[in-house]
Amino acid sequence: MAMKALDIYKHLPKTNCKRCGYPTCLAFAMKLAIGKADIEACPDLDPDTKTLLGGVTRPLVRLVEVGAGERSIAVGEEFVLFRHEKTFYHPPGIMVQVSDAWSEDEVRSVVETVKETVVHRVGQDLVLNGVAVKYESNRPDRFAEAVALSGGGSSLPLALIADDPAAFEAALAAAGQYRPLVHAATEENWEALTALAKRYGCPLAVRAAGPAELAVLAVKCAEAGVPDLVLDPAPLSLSDFIATATEIRRAAVGRTEPALGYPLYLDAGAFGETDAALAAGILKYAGIIVTLPLSPASRGAALTLRQNIYTDPQKPIQVMPGIYPINEPGPAAPVLLTVNFSLTYFTLLGYLEASRIPCYLFIADTEGLSVLTAVAGGKLTETLVADSLKKFGVAELVDHRFLVIPGYAAPLSGKIEDATGWKVLVGPRDAADLPGYLEKEWKA
Amino acid sequence: MTEKSDERMAIREVRLGATQAEGGTREVSCVIGGERSLPFSERTPGRLLVALEICDDPRFWPPVVRDYVGDLANNTDEWARAAERTYGADLVRLNFTSTKQRGFNAFDAIAATTEAVLAATARPLIVEGSNEPELDSEVFRRCGEAGEGERLLLGTAEADRYRSVAAAALAYGHAVIAQSPIDVNLAKQLNILLRETGVPQDRIVIDPYTGALGYGFEYTYSVMERIRLAALSGDADLAMPMISAPTDTLSVREVREAAPADREAMAVAWEFYTAYAAFVAGASIVCVRHPLTVERLKKALEV
Ligand code: B12
Ligand code: SF4
Repeated sequence: MAMKALDIYKHLPKTNCKRCGYPTCLAFAMKLAIGKADIEACPDLDPDTKTLLGGVTRPLVRLVEVGAGERSIAVGEEFVLFRHEKTFYHPPGIMVQVSDAWSEDEVRSVVETVKETVVHRVGQDLVLNGVAVKYESNRPDRFAEAVALSGGGSSLPLALIADDPAAFEAALAAAGQYRPLVHAATEENWEALTALAKRYGCPLAVRAAGPAELAVLAVKCAEAGVPDLVLDPAPLSLSDFIATATEIRRAAVGRTEPALGYPLYLDAGAFGETDAALAAGILKYAGIIVTLPLSPASRGAALTLRQNIYTDPQKPIQVMPGIYPINEPGPAAPVLLTVNFSLTYFTLLGYLEASRIPCYLFIADTEGLSVLTAVAGGKLTETLVADSLKKFGVAELVDHRFLVIPGYAAPLSGKIEDATGWKVLVGPRDAADLPGYLEKEWKA
Repeated sequence: MTEKSDERMAIREVRLGATQAEGGTREVSCVIGGERSLPFSERTPGRLLVALEICDDPRFWPPVVRDYVGDLANNTDEWARAAERTYGADLVRLNFTSTKQRGFNAFDAIAATTEAVLAATARPLIVEGSNEPELDSEVFRRCGEAGEGERLLLGTAEADRYRSVAAAALAYGHAVIAQSPIDVNLAKQLNILLRETGVPQDRIVIDPYTGALGYGFEYTYSVMERIRLAALSGDADLAMPMISAPTDTLSVREVREAAPADREAMAVAWEFYTAYAAFVAGASIVCVRHPLTVERLKKALEV
């Protein structure tokens, strides 16, 4: 069971020597208590204390890094079963699968797509994370070539999918230093694979049917010297994956089975329904998802679902309140009131930039709520508008006193006029209609 | 938690549709609910239903669906028949979009369309009545009466708009969709209001309101999980099955602004991801509008 920071502190040297990277032993104890520090960081503990504290302070779900460099991914280090309990922290890495039996061009084109694809949404860049190379040629040298063709791990994180140690031997000789994920150690080959993963310092996926078998195998691999594990529960169906993944995550965050405290692996191509599998993996605890190449539509939807699920439920994605000049406005440009919900801002920005109409976006602090939600919830009020006008010095920027408000804020128009002394113009409800509206109605 | 599942409260069962033996004309009736643990953990999600939405006035329907169904859109009963027979939907959800037009007063058509769609379908029917508060009482009375004995699922009751739906459900023996804006407490309050009006608990289906993927869906997802967890830990006022209708997904920017050649794929992907995720969060029925989404959801539930 978990231990409180003060109880942990009692076992530490209390010298505050800082070698763990924290200013005091107590600070270190506090990090340990929430599973965010590694007991190994303190060099002055005897083995017994280490074992004792290690058991109660290890992260609930270990943080595992796949790949090296800029695009490497870190998965795991999660604390809850449901996102509303706190939040999910590390979105699953989505790795697109190629095969060493494919032609060079086919492999290259997938790798390029993974590298180049960026979906811009609400101020974030959503990407696919890596390439999974599957061993189907039965020739270790070809596997190594396909791995090299996939960048060898230097630009994109790789997963190597095979069962034959000889294939890994060849591939790791080329790409081992970039920490590819080795998939997968099984009851049959785990000794050879842990040796390889250990030699190259790579993360290792462990594959066994169901939580109990996985726990046994994970312990063996960890004891053989590979700390960075990923669990593949070898699901029989998608609903089996959801059920098993839930069981594993529950055991991990409840600390009932520490050997299950690792990120999960899902092969989204296994059931012939890639989109459903991707969604299930994103929703239910997968850390690494390997998928067949995706259509632009599936890609967009999957990346958006991942973004949604991994947004902090307590904190909508927000922009800074303030006054934002768009298309180089002058003193006669319209002032458009809106809210600081990122989605609202970027939706408006898209249409306004495309229209080339110079204007000022005047963003009030609605704590990240959308227009309609802020109006319904009483977060967008005439007082807020009046105060923000002053705070951002809007009157000094323009030589008129007209304020365009969102259509959904129409019920507030009279109150805003009274509170600000500005003349209110009620704009359309849909941002798509805003440029047309401005062209027609704006003549300050 | 799940280990002791049999001690746990079950989600209440709700029966939809009535066969001849049950006083209606449906070939089958369906029971939803009854789960005792988290979605998909019982490994037999056999009770999950996919509904295809259709409407009586296609002017108010997404262009990407109109393009796909073509002439069917002008023929509500043919559209309903195709929904079950061609597209493989478990249920049809009939939306009276005609009530959106200004000065609507074709109340006889409401009854006639309900009857025609009932005749064209073999399975339980969901009816989405009026879009206009002033029309509620007459519209719900007409469609409720036309479906008497068929145990329709009637929608939609909201906190400030539930009396007419509830009255029609009570008078003609239907179940009710209770919608609240993404909030556990509001969902609970509305169920209590309906109970006080006399609607039996086993005739309520919760609609937690579904924001579109990328446009608030994460809130819906978590509220559905919370409603389900509250129910499983014994809150009887939330222990109803849920229905999710990702209605807004077909008009999100990604779909509207997709290149014409990609629009259909984008629409289906957007609907599919939202709807499938709603099942994972605990929905018993998901309602979609694109026929291709129905097929993909049905397949996804089988693997
Ligand atoms: C997600 C969501 C929530 C989330 C909040 C998300 C957020 N960060 O805002 C949560 C769950 C917290 C929530 C809570 C509530 N919600 Co809510 N919510 C939604 C939902 C599904 C999506 C909102 C959204 O993201 N819209 C997208 C953004 C981009 O829209 P937007 O900001 O309005 O911007 C658009 C336009 O306004 C316009 N625009 C923006 N700025 C400007 C500026 C100018 C000048 C112009 C011309 C145009 C313009 O362009 C944008 C794109 O078209 C909507 C349903 C819906 N379809 O809208 C309900 C909805 C807005 N919520 C509703 C309600 C009632 C509530 C609550 C009051 C319920 C409650 N008591 O708990 C609370 C209020 C919050 C509070 N307590 O403070 C109702 C509002 C009913 C009404 N008509 O008044 C809605 C419509 C749902 C419904 N049908 O019942 N909600
Ligand atoms: S390294 Fe150990 S002794 Fe030094 S401050 Fe950290 S916890 Fe204390």
